[in-house]
Amino acid sequence: MFERQEDIVERVIGHLRRPVSIDPALDARVMREIANLPSRPTRHPLLRAWPWLAAAAVLAALVIARPWSSRSDRPDAFQFVLVAPRAASVALVGDFNDWDAARTPMRAARGGVWAAAIPLAPGRYRYAFLVNGAEWRADPGAPAAMDDEFGTPSSVVTIGGS
Amino acid sequence: MLSLTVLLLVTQVAAQDPRLERLDPDTRSQVVAMLDSARGVGLPTEPLVQRALEGVVKAATGARIVTAVRRLASDLGTARTALGAAASTPELEAGVAALRAGASPAILARLRNVRRPPLTMALAVLADLVASGVPADSAAAAVLTLAPSARDADLVEFRRAVERDIALGASPAAAAGSVLLDAGARTARPGRP
Repeated sequence: MFERQEDIVERVIGHLRRPVSIDPALDARVMREIANLPSRPTRHPLLRAWPWLAAAAVLAALVIARPWSSRSDRPDAFQFVLVAPRAASVALVGDFNDWDAARTPMRAARGGVWAAAIPLAPGRYRYAFLVNGAEWRADPGAPAAMDDEFGTPSSVVTIGGS
Repeated sequence: MLSLTVLLLVTQVAAQDPRLERLDPDTRSQVVAMLDSARGVGLPTEPLVQRALEGVVKAATGARIVTAVRRLASDLGTARTALGAAASTPELEAGVAALRAGASPAILARLRNVRRPPLTMALAVLADLVASGVPADSAAAAVLTLAPSARDADLVEFRRAVERDIALGASPAAAAGSVLLDAGARTARPGRP
């Protein structure tokens, strides 16, 4: 006949609960071994302080660089994108480049995506894409310029300052 | 003699700003005169130059360029009156956009009173909302509600949310109202950081 599972568990528990006899001199022996360990060499104070110095240097660098700050002396680069699979050339033209069609040619990427990134200071800019040197297109992903007085579509982008 | 004087004047101005050489001489002289007038009353001239250059690259006629520049100069003056003499050039440009979208000068003045500068983004969002189809009154009311405490990024997010709802089929006015209510609820929620 097999032993019941509960009985096996009870037996294991009982075995584990038996007091373990320990040599009364064990504590004294352990402490003696510890006392005989060679002492660590004393480090130079500068070496002891290096983690703190490193932390202070990192903190100082963060305070100076302020990577969390949204304001910067350098304007942020703003990415412009147009999907024009059949275009042979696309130029980005607007208030930020004196409406000069030769100044900011966009680069073709995969899937007919054309892109250009330019730094923009806070402000509101009108712009448009010039496709194949002849066709003006507004940016479908940006608000339209409502006050286009020259008969072709333009878009606007606003860069905030706060 | 007269033509020589005009030629000398145009040559002198073009030397000051070579970008204007892209304009034909007649248009250039008229634009230069408007730039001088604007400068004389303390208005920024760069937006006027850019509008003229936009006309050039878009092959607009000289008359059309002159009309556009003159109108912009006038609107810049209106925006400055509403926003105050301390308004920056970007604020004035955004103010012109808001005015042309249908906001009254009184709305611009109220915005100046309820929000710390710069007002550029608030004015631009107002204009962009109207461009999305939101009635000017609704757009102005929404921006004036958000303006006292919202950051620029919050205003941009508001505009995007409205545009998203419009793209999903909501009427522009309803979209603006709905998003504004959501924003208000979030602001009023206890424990908001």
